[in-house]
Amino acid sequence: MRRQPAPSTVRWLLLVAALLLWEGLPRTGTVAELFLPPLSKTLAVLVEDWTLYAQALLVTLSEVALAMLIACGAGILVGALVGGVALLRNMFLPVFSSLYAVPIVILYPIFTAWFGIGSESKVAFAGMYGFFPVMLSTAAGIRTIDAQLLVAARSMGATVPQRIGRVVIPASLPTVLAGLRLGGALTIIGVVVAEMLTSAAGIGYLVTNYRTVLDSPRVFAAVLMILLLSILFDALARTVERRTLVWAQAGRRERIVVRDDRRLAAATSPV
Amino acid sequence: MQHVANLTPRRVANDLNGEAAPNAIEVAGLNHVYEGRDGTVPALEDIALTVGAGRFVVIVGPSGCGKTSLLMMLAGLRRATSGTILCAGKPIADPDPERVGVVFQEASLFPWLTAVENIEFPLVLRHAPREERRRRALDMLNLVGLTGFDGRYPQELSGGMKQRVAIARGLVQDPPVLLMDEPFAALDEQTRMTMGHELLRIWSQTAKTVVFVTHSLTEAIYLADEVLVMSARPGRIIDRIPVVLPRPRTYEMMATDVFGRLRDRIWQQIRQTDTKGAP
Repeated sequence: MRRQPAPSTVRWLLLVAALLLWEGLPRTGTVAELFLPPLSKTLAVLVEDWTLYAQALLVTLSEVALAMLIACGAGILVGALVGGVALLRNMFLPVFSSLYAVPIVILYPIFTAWFGIGSESKVAFAGMYGFFPVMLSTAAGIRTIDAQLLVAARSMGATVPQRIGRVVIPASLPTVLAGLRLGGALTIIGVVVAEMLTSAAGIGYLVTNYRTVLDSPRVFAAVLMILLLSILFDALARTVERRTLVWAQAGRRERIVVRDDRRLAAATSPV
Repeated sequence: MQHVANLTPRRVANDLNGEAAPNAIEVAGLNHVYEGRDGTVPALEDIALTVGAGRFVVIVGPSGCGKTSLLMMLAGLRRATSGTILCAGKPIADPDPERVGVVFQEASLFPWLTAVENIEFPLVLRHAPREERRRRALDMLNLVGLTGFDGRYPQELSGGMKQRVAIARGLVQDPPVLLMDEPFAALDEQTRMTMGHELLRIWSQTAKTVVFVTHSLTEAIYLADEVLVMSARPGRIIDRIPVVLPRPRTYEMMATDVFGRLRDRIWQQIRQTDTKGAP
């Protein structure tokens, strides 16, 4: 029987195929260069206008960093309060859950009216965009802690701060980190979309600007940068999750348990 | 035979001092009512019990009779409406892991800590030095027969092994009293028998006072010096049955007439009190 190729091999092959198509389709004239400029041309303008793109990236990055700070900080704080205090949860959780379903981008014009078209409105808008998933997952993470663990900690004499620091935080960490990854990705989207709508700087601005003059390679160069930025962030977030949650992966090595059980039964069963 | 250096053999110590062994637990006039939807519901009624130091007492009773509540009150985790609970002569107001260790039904181990870190947890809470707590935790792991499993996470342990870790965690502060709330209820029959046997071995090596709650009559008789039978709600203690079987207990004893008669006596008591469970 032939062995199936590993999923990771297939993934890499698909990526290579996509890049080859990106180069090949416009070169052979199958797709007009206006709609899809070849990869090589896109990379060429990236090198050519390197300082321009670097400056735009710097603007976008700093906006993303500030927005993430707001989204994560406020999200965790509000999420912990709403998740931990029953009264606040009953009052606010339904409201926040509904708000999450609203396409917040419709509020962006209001944000520009309040904060201007500079970085402030992007940071505020993207911060709010990323706030909801962080807040909701923090609340969920705290709400779904196994109550038995808290009782056990109390039986061992844990004070309230000890229960928070040594049980509530580690127990809710997996859900909170998943929320941070989602919220972080949304702040990147938030910043770029805001830049595309109304602004005078940043990668999103370059996309809109070059699109209006039909300079496809430069549009695609900017898109490529946003793509890389998102992938990089996701990889970083996943690494942090993996490093922090070593124990969560431990359960996947279940097979050893059966073997140990037999060994233990043999060792301790009375004659 | 094993590393029990940290554990004081209390029965021996008492004999050496020439004092009468004080009661490990004394409960008097304990009542508990809770506020239900339709007014107050009496849960426990006039509970009185004494457990001598080093004794193994098992509480049985129909579901919902309040035996777990009683145990939680002994642990200082829940407060009774009235009555007194003394442990080693002093009242129990809050959980005190240096006097009372607790083992729960579900292993209630922290999944983000390894076996040895779980056992260390109570010592970490009171800021014991790192080396001391590691040494004591490893000793306990040894005592419960899990030498070499210190680096495993709970998800990597079987149900029986998790309960061994939970027992080790309950014992790590060397409390004179160990309370156990249906600790083997979630285990399969075979593992459950092995664990009962293991518990008796650990008990005889450490000389703790054990109060053990269970649904299983066989388990109760196999383990206990004395079985307390509780009635259906409101929970009262309706019988105290000394188990006259010699120690060490063996599986063969389960097939004896004495064992059968004890089992029958307890079963009759429970059946009469538990109207819902009547056939």
